[in-house]
Amino acid sequence: MATDTTRAASDTATASGRRSIRASGPLMMWRTVDILTIAFLGAAFGIAYWGWGLAYQAPSTALTTLYPPLTGITAAPWLVAGVVGGLVVRRPGAALFCEVVAALVSMIPGTQWGFTTLISGILQGLGAEIGFAILGYASYRLGAAMLAGALSAPLEAVYEWFVYWTDWGWSHKIVYLFVLTAAGAVIAGGLGWLITRALAAAGALNAFPPGQEARESHAV
Amino acid sequence: MPRPAGAGRVEVHGLRWRPYGRKQPIIDDLDLVIPAGQRVLLVGPSGSGKSTLLRGLAGLLETADAGELTGAVTIDGAAPGDRPGAVGLVLQEPGAGLVAATIARDVAFGLENIGMPRADMPPRVTTALAAVRLTEGLAPDAPTSALSGGQTQRLALAGALALEPSVLMLDEPTAMLDADNAAAVRASVDAVVSERALTLVVVEHVLGPWVDLVDRLLVLDDQGRIVADGPVRETLVAERERLLEMGVWVPGAPVPDPIPVDPTLLRRCSRMPRLFRGSAPGTTEAFGNNAGEGAALAATELAVIRRTRTVDGIVTERVAAALPGPLVVRPGELHALVGPSGSGKSTVLHVLAGFLEPATGEVSTADGRPPARLDPPELAAAIAWIPQWASSTIVTNTVLDEVMVTSRSTGREDDTTKERALALLAALGLDRVAGADPRTLSGGELRRLAVAAAILHGPDVVLADEPTVGQDRHTWAAVVGLLAAYRRAGGAIVTATHDSHVVARAGQVQELITQPRPTEPTGGRPLLADRGPLALMLGAALAVPTGIISPSWRASLGLLAVQFVLAVLGLTSRRAGVLAPLRSLAIRLLPGALAALSVAWSTWLLGGHRLDLAGTGLTRVLLIVLPSAVLLPFIDTDRLGDQLAQRLRLPDRPVVAVSAALHRMQSFADIWAEISRARRVRGIGPSWRRPASIVAQVVALTVGLLIRALRSAADLAVAMDARGFATAQRRTWWSPAPWRLGDTVLVLVAALPLVLAILAHSVPALAGVR
Repeated sequence: MATDTTRAASDTATASGRRSIRASGPLMMWRTVDILTIAFLGAAFGIAYWGWGLAYQAPSTALTTLYPPLTGITAAPWLVAGVVGGLVVRRPGAALFCEVVAALVSMIPGTQWGFTTLISGILQGLGAEIGFAILGYASYRLGAAMLAGALSAPLEAVYEWFVYWTDWGWSHKIVYLFVLTAAGAVIAGGLGWLITRALAAAGALNAFPPGQEARESHAV
Repeated sequence: MPRPAGAGRVEVHGLRWRPYGRKQPIIDDLDLVIPAGQRVLLVGPSGSGKSTLLRGLAGLLETADAGELTGAVTIDGAAPGDRPGAVGLVLQEPGAGLVAATIARDVAFGLENIGMPRADMPPRVTTALAAVRLTEGLAPDAPTSALSGGQTQRLALAGALALEPSVLMLDEPTAMLDADNAAAVRASVDAVVSERALTLVVVEHVLGPWVDLVDRLLVLDDQGRIVADGPVRETLVAERERLLEMGVWVPGAPVPDPIPVDPTLLRRCSRMPRLFRGSAPGTTEAFGNNAGEGAALAATELAVIRRTRTVDGIVTERVAAALPGPLVVRPGELHALVGPSGSGKSTVLHVLAGFLEPATGEVSTADGRPPARLDPPELAAAIAWIPQWASSTIVTNTVLDEVMVTSRSTGREDDTTKERALALLAALGLDRVAGADPRTLSGGELRRLAVAAAILHGPDVVLADEPTVGQDRHTWAAVVGLLAAYRRAGGAIVTATHDSHVVARAGQVQELITQPRPTEPTGGRPLLADRGPLALMLGAALAVPTGIISPSWRASLGLLAVQFVLAVLGLTSRRAGVLAPLRSLAIRLLPGALAALSVAWSTWLLGGHRLDLAGTGLTRVLLIVLPSAVLLPFIDTDRLGDQLAQRLRLPDRPVVAVSAALHRMQSFADIWAEISRARRVRGIGPSWRRPASIVAQVVALTVGLLIRALRSAADLAVAMDARGFATAQRRTWWSPAPWRLGDTVLVLVAALPLVLAILAHSVPALAGVR
């Protein structure tokens, strides 16, 4: 009988939010709603990414005038999908999948970066995935989000050295790596964490651990 | 796996479901038996758990929610999910369960999940489409995006029928449809249920049209308990008072009285925005004899043209909507726009609100200026807009703020605003949730809130898009009462509606007609048009190493010339010629050119202002992005899914999910636009003078879009699992995904610049002096 299983997933919820609730069932058993949510979140972020591609030119140009490696700051919003995907679904592969879908969706209508958008998406998603994996897919608090955000950056930065910043001096390339990593931690990690909280508070994550955390903390 | 005869007995024992975060279960210890072939109508007040019970009967409670579930549900003695598709499910929102871009493919989805061989699918699909009469005038490869709401619901029904269910569950299948479409859906349901002797459970709150179709009426109370159960006609008579109390539309009952709302709670409509009294030059003359004088809103005849451009640059134009006669809306008037679904009523409202520019005709607000020229606070003072999807207009975090926000943004907040807002909420039964997040409200509550929030600040005119569709009697009475109070306060209303009771209250009615769709351009297509997505992506990918290894700007320029010639070859066609495709390529390449310039500039700044270094950066980026701008727009997202799964052998389920998400990209982009319009018309749109408002806008749009995306994912998960997606182990695919000779040729040709770059790299003489 399919309906006799009572989920034991709430056991950690009672620990007053000290620990993160993990995904229900075996970690690798993706439910339909997990897969669809990552795909749809990715697509929505892809549209936002595409929009940011149009809007970021002005602030990015301003930063370039100041000191070109500072453009890592305006690149960081493109790292947020992986962080949010990981925070919401909490299964291995969620961060990578979400960032890749976002990159794919923003690439198809046409971005200034063309196919390299997809390569970036894979590298960024892989970085975020490593962040969640280091913590054993067990912690999804602000610190974990910032770690995933930070680790989204290095692979991407190194890749950009070869494609875009080939002719910069090494010191500038290194500075860019650090700027992007710090911005990844703060902007992608921090913003991703805030977005996830906002989505949970709006009742949009009821099928997922963050929604459960939000709901069990003020049950009605 | 044919359905055994006489199947479809549903048994429920001690079903209990408590979602996490609720102290009380929604369904508590429920027992129910539905004999095979019985037709049951399930009713109850909103929030009574009707949809939840329906999902419980289909075994899908844990698909898109988490909670504690105990008890047992069986279909003919087995769990509902044991035979995929044994329980067919149709959801309320048309399109919520759409998975594919063409109708035949969408019907075949369940068959793919159960691993049916491709050759066996077409007869099953044809039978299912014929059963819901979707074969008349529609080819199997007709796009699902061109269907009306009613046709989309019938398609969902066909998708369920393809799996030969024994039980059919319908969750308010006609709530969002106009009368004609709703009747067509009911006729299809009646036909298939009779023909196949299916067990039917339908949730509805408009009972009239269903009474003749069902045998038994089940009534739930607000605790989710069964309080009445019996033959439909007797039970209707016996439970009439209770049903009316619940807000159910009982057949024969009079239209509910609109709730009384004190007009003095609303700010008296000023008819002229306070900030800009005095008439601006221009538009009133267009109406002749000052017919527009004293109007809250006026429009001439309008036509909206929608332009689409194919990838090879052919532009087609069609009339998306037209307002057949002039519209002069005076204070206190109610104007109704009527016409079939798809006749462009919402589009005309968008033009009246200044969201869209009409191709012909003009609109002017009370002070004579067109709405599109007003800044957000001025627009909010002149016009309020209630979109069909009420959640789009949510812009704050509490119900009370939501009602007051436009008073604030328009500078109309005074000592009485909060008091009036609370009194208005009390009149609507929303006072107990005044501090709650609006996004946690039910659909009916959200609709009442949206109307209250639109009118408290006393705009000159309200544009209301189907304000009563799908509402129970209580919310209907609240919305109609609110709008009546607003008219007494001097407000004017233009509404797009199918609701005959609302039309009856309107002083003026204009009927819109559906505009014909032009035929697609035909004829010789460009060489790139039929290439597979993987070949296109591979072609674009080859440009990345080309750019990286190109040794100098001279070499890059040469390679760019080669790429350009290849692009011309690939894009040119008999129907579009050479110039149109190039013009459209130039537009697509513009962002890439900007990116290349910014890379060049940063390199110039850091590299000691050396032009050759900057030029190398510039040409490298152009080399990388030019093939993408040529090739990627040709990607057919359906074929992408087919190729990713069948050629690249990526896991089936994620590929299906990504395809479904790609189908919804247009609707996601529409949601983005809708939220941004809602913010503008609430007076809180962004202004370049206030950078914080831009950040707020971006955050609001992103979160709003994500919330809607998550909701659609949850609905689709339920619809897909009802068609066997959860247990799809070895899927088959409706369409093959061949790799053709042309794909090989494309990749080889696209590799040419890379080969030349390698040559230039290894033979320094060719690369020029750096």
